[in-house]
Amino acid sequence: MTQIKVGDTLPSVTLKYCPYDPSLEHACGIPQNLDISSLKGKKVVIFGVPGAFTPTCNNQHLPEFHQKYDEFVKKGVDQIICLSTTDAFVMDAWGKWTKTNDKIILAADGNGEFVNATGLVQDLSKIGFGTIRSLRFALIADDLKVTYVGVETGPGVSVSGADAVLAAL
Amino acid sequence: MAQQIKVGDTLPTVSLKYCPYDPELKDACGIPQVLSTDSFKGKKVVIFGVPGAFTPTCNNNHLPEYHQKYQDLAKKGIDQVICISTADAFVMDAWGKWTNVSDKVIMAADGNGEFVKATGLVQDLTKAGMGAVRSKRFAMVVEDLKVTYIGVETQFGVSVSGAGAVLAKL
Repeated sequence: MTQIKVGDTLPSVTLKYCPYDPSLEHACGIPQNLDISSLKGKKVVIFGVPGAFTPTCNNQHLPEFHQKYDEFVKKGVDQIICLSTTDAFVMDAWGKWTKTNDKIILAADGNGEFVNATGLVQDLSKIGFGTIRSLRFALIADDLKVTYVGVETGPGVSVSGADAVLAAL
Repeated sequence: MAQQIKVGDTLPTVSLKYCPYDPELKDACGIPQVLSTDSFKGKKVVIFGVPGAFTPTCNNNHLPEYHQKYQDLAKKGIDQVICISTADAFVMDAWGKWTNVSDKVIMAADGNGEFVKATGLVQDLTKAGMGAVRSKRFAMVVEDLKVTYIGVETQFGVSVSGAGAVLAKL
């Protein structure tokens, strides 16, 4: 299927997430729905990672967005959402592990609906990661319309990173 | 998919992945290593499967019980205790650190679902937003690659797949 591009509308998909609660130190409560349609009227950044807790995602991609959060806010971004094809419990634990869940919404595309609908899916069975994983990407959506998409084609973080997105805002 | 594995069957040859325990590595895993089920030849092992790392029952009940009862299992001749799920090795490693199981429980990743499919222990949890390839909650005792006990939960909670049930069978 074709990859989502500038000018396209975000697909109507339901993600899951555990709302940030500083009193819940250990497990998540009950995962809640995060409907993409709820992003209507907002300016949001959605970035996708192949794997929670994996080196590049954990040490670079996610922390950069957290560190530069205020700069995003200054440029009118309402929410920053980190997405992967794992479930909400793993995403919640990862948010706690990296101490990023106070600013970043760690969202689960557990059935791969978002990445399949946007053409941002990759098969990583050759490294034991199963067939439905997100590509490393970042996009800006303004009132559900995509105004920027950066998809990595090699290892590392460039067009999908916080700096690249800030430059596009 | 294969029929559910039963007592007397031989464990299928599958390569899992895991991050070897290293107390120096506090944060991320190193490079995941291969753990072949063939390496259990000549050993007595317990393999228990969980639907999801970091999920309530798995996190608060199933895994901790095996960690707590590790010595009891070792006294009954168990060489290794292996926890399996269809997450990848990085998630399993992080979960092991999160729950402090250290070197007692090997947190193994069946990332492509090969083990759970080959043993008929797979379940589809798409309706819970957890994808189509998840492990059932189970525990098995394997001696020299032959299954001598298997307990598969048919509802919520931990009973026949728990450390207590396995100990009673050893």
